[in-house]
Parts: sequence; C-alpha cells; structure tokens
Amino acid sequence: MATPPRIAFVSPRFSEGPTVGGAETLLRQLAERLVARGWQVDYLTTCARNHFTWENEIPKGEALIAGITVRYFPVDSGRDMDAFITLQNRISRQAEITRDEELVWQRNNVNSQALYQYLKTEGHRYDRIIMGPYLFALVYFASQIHPDKTLLLPCLHDESFAYLKTVREMFMYVAGWIFNTEPERDLAQRLYGLNLAHAHVVGMGIEEFKTDPVAFRKRHTLTAPYIIYSGRREPLKGTPVLLDYLDVFRERTGIDMRLVLTGSGPYDPPSRLIPHILDLGFVSEKEKHDAMAGAVAFCHPSVNESFSIVILESWLAGTPVLVHAAGDVMPYHCRKSNGGLWFRNYPEFEESLSLLLAKPALRNAMGEAGLRYVRREYAWKTVESRLLAALS
Amino acid sequence: MSTGLFEIGADGVDAQRIMAEIQATVAAKMQSGAYAGAQLARAERFNLMNLKKDENFFDFYMESLREAVFIDINDFEIRERRATFAPLLVRIKKSIWSLLKFYTYRLWSQQNQVNGLLLSATEEVDRKYRDKLKTLEDRIAKLESNLHPG
Repeated sequence: MATPPRIAFVSPRFSEGPTVGGAETLLRQLAERLVARGWQVDYLTTCARNHFTWENEIPKGEALIAGITVRYFPVDSGRDMDAFITLQNRISRQAEITRDEELVWQRNNVNSQALYQYLKTEGHRYDRIIMGPYLFALVYFASQIHPDKTLLLPCLHDESFAYLKTVREMFMYVAGWIFNTEPERDLAQRLYGLNLAHAHVVGMGIEEFKTDPVAFRKRHTLTAPYIIYSGRREPLKGTPVLLDYLDVFRERTGIDMRLVLTGSGPYDPPSRLIPHILDLGFVSEKEKHDAMAGAVAFCHPSVNESFSIVILESWLAGTPVLVHAAGDVMPYHCRKSNGGLWFRNYPEFEESLSLLLAKPALRNAMGEAGLRYVRREYAWKTVESRLLAALS
Repeated sequence: MSTGLFEIGADGVDAQRIMAEIQATVAAKMQSGAYAGAQLARAERFNLMNLKKDENFFDFYMESLREAVFIDINDFEIRERRATFAPLLVRIKKSIWSLLKFYTYRLWSQQNQVNGLLLSATEEVDRKYRDKLKTLEDRIAKLESNLHPG
C-alpha cells in the first residue's frame, strides 16, 4: 500500500476556540479535510493565543487535535517593540522604507527560531508545506527554508504591507500559491506579476446548517427589523462606518432598524445608537446562524477581505448581504451569486437597505441566489477537488 | 425608492441591474438635494479613506462639508435616558448648560472660524490641482495634435 502524502501547515496560530481569525480557521479546515482523506498532516504553529501580546500561553510540544498533529513552538523573546512599531507605523502610512528596514521589521515581528530549526531538520519529510497568512514574519522566514515545496496561502489584501519588497520576494520564490478567490489571485498577479500556472483558487468549504430565526427573535425579544454583523469590530473591518451609517439611516428614514453584533472587539457607537444595538459578543455557531437568518441583511463594511466566510454563512442562512463596494472580493461574490448589494457611500447604503426592507420577495430571492452560489462553489466536495489539484 | 422597480425577473435576481438602478436613483436624489447636509458629512467621516479613488464622490462630500462646516450648538435637545427622575435630571442638565454657555460659545465661535478656514483651504487646494491638471491635459492634447497633424 502506498504511503499517504505528508503535508505540513505553518501558521502563527492554530485555530482553537473563538479567538482566532479567518485565515487560521481556513488553514485548520483544509488540514482536517486532508486528514479525513487519510493524509498525514502536521500543523506547525506557535504557543501564542493572543495576537496582540503574542505571549507563549500554550506549552510547547505536540498534541493530536482532530487527527492533526499540532506542534507548538515558542515565540522568540527579545523583540525590539519600539523599532517594530515605528516601522509598522511607517509602512501603514505608506512611507518609503528600505529593504534593510523591512528586514528589521520582519525580525522584530512574530518569529520562532525553534519552528525554523524544526523545518530545517524535518522539512524534507513533507511532500508539501502550506503557509499563511502572508503578513507574518513567521511565514516570511519559514517559506525560505524549503521554497521548492512551499505553497503560500496568503489571504492577501490590497494594503500597504502587500507592497513591501520582502513580501514580493516571498511570493516570487515559493513553489505556488493558494488563493481564496479570483480577485485575490488577480491582485497578486497585478502586484507581483505571478506565473498563473502555479496559482490555484481553492477557498473554503462551508457546511450547511439549519436555523430558527423565530426562536432567536423570541430569545432576545426582538420585534424590530435588524441588520447583522459578525466578526471582529475594528476600524480595519469598517465597524465605525457601519455604526455611523446606521445612526444616520435611523435619523433620516425614521425606520427603527436595529443592529445585532456577534464577535469581539471594542467599538464606539454614536450615543443615541447604543439602545438600538444588540451586542451578543461571542456566541455559539447555532446562535450566530439563527441571528443571521432573522436579519434583513448581513452588512459587511470591510474593504479588506480575501474571502469572507461570514457572508457565505449568511447566504446559507438564506439572508442577502450588503457589502462595501471598495473591496474586491465581497462585491465579486455578490455579482457572481446575485445574493447581495454593495454600497460605495451612504446614499447607496440607504437606498439598498430601504429596498431590501421594502421588498421581502426580493430579499428572499437574493438570499436563495446566495445559497445556490455557496452550494455550487463552496461545497466541501468542490473545494476538496480544487485543493487536491493545488497539491498535486 | 420607487417601488415599481427592482422586480425579480424570470431568470431570478440580477444584482448588477439592481445596483445600476439604485445608483441612478441616488444620482437623481443627489441632484435634487435629497442627500445633503451635516448628517451626510458625519456619516462619511470614516468612509473617506475608501472613497479616495472616487472623484464624483469627493465633490459630493465637499458639498456636504460646506453645509456642515458652521456648527450650531443650540441645535440639540437636552434629554435623559434613565426614566427615574428624568424631569429633575433634565432640569439639572439645563442649569449646568446655562452656566457653561458663555464659555462654550467662545470656543464654539473660534471652532467655527477654524472650520471655515480649513474648508476654504481644502477648496483652494482642490481648485489649484484641478486647474493644474486641466493645464497639463490641454498641453498633452496640444502636443499630441502636433505629433499627428490632420
């Protein structure tokens, strides 16, 4: 009997519990699918849970989780945080920095010499090594160890970090790339001039689920219509835009439209909007899906998404989405699925939301169109066949 | 929003067509002044970064800013969210406001001056670069016509 392929995933964190981001969730899901096919999968990661402090909270060593051998390595100590933050701020402002300065930024970013050492001595045993997201030095340095078998899963956004010379170099020397969507691949092609023969669009499969929106409304005594946002609340995700838009929408239209939030992160809404926000914090997947199913729309105001799992979930819940037009990925999903509308400014937001509220038949039709799209493009069977093609 | 539009066709929903209709509605309403004023400028304060490539929207934003630039601090109602002792709390707030009014008005008028100056400066920068671009475009057109006479 042939030996099953051996694959390593490398990422700064392993998705356990509710505190990780979409990229980690995506990597873990792909790893689990390969395990289910009988492949040997190792997940090399750090002992950190918190992406602000990067403290080593998990003991180093290995654990078998859902069939994946997770190997935890400590994050290096002795980071020069002043140098890191100064350079990070300059990069964020799109100030010109030299390659040497980029390297100082990378060296003081999240690194693990123990992980690099493991890859140097054991990396030859893997058939393929999948790494991501692109933004972390851990991925930058680890990708240099066995570039000929490394596939980068970047979760790339059009942001200042994507324009760094060191990032471009990383894209150029790895063996191939796994993108979540066509717009993400096109962005990489535009920025780095990639050879698309080695570029694969895979994405992530989304399991279908049942919802009970009536029970959700009852549990939270919600009678007014609401829009929902799930995920991290922070300026990069567009949360302040959503809060201001909803406040002005309520003021201008007189419609008692509420906002349901799930997820984490501080936010600062206009004071008069506070009574009209139902902030559920971290909730179970079931609760989140019930909340999505009862909403007029799932509103995603971020312009920095490479995939957006939550809008696909919203479509599985039968709810249309309302997304910011300035990003590439989410309007792409909406155009391809006919499951949502997009806004560039407040007037378009008001008109779109008013339309979805006024026309339940249109709302349902868009939700159903989105559902069909997710079933067609993001059923696990389809995603798995794309992943296997990328690994072949 | 017109209710006669946006019907679901035999082939299902066409999001692009709906968006085109929404954008036409927005353009008409903006033309008629339905989307103007301080509210709009406030709504867009965090969205400006996302609109930097949208020249038309910059004009719209400047228009909203012009209407919002001179703030009127009389334009708010003193309210109390807590039901208990609400009338009493509102009276206390009003008394505090009447005590602070004199000092607040001084700050307010100075702030209005600063806002006005900033708006003028922004308009001037905008005008200057538009003129500069126009001159350069005219020059390019002239050079091109010299290159390909007739």
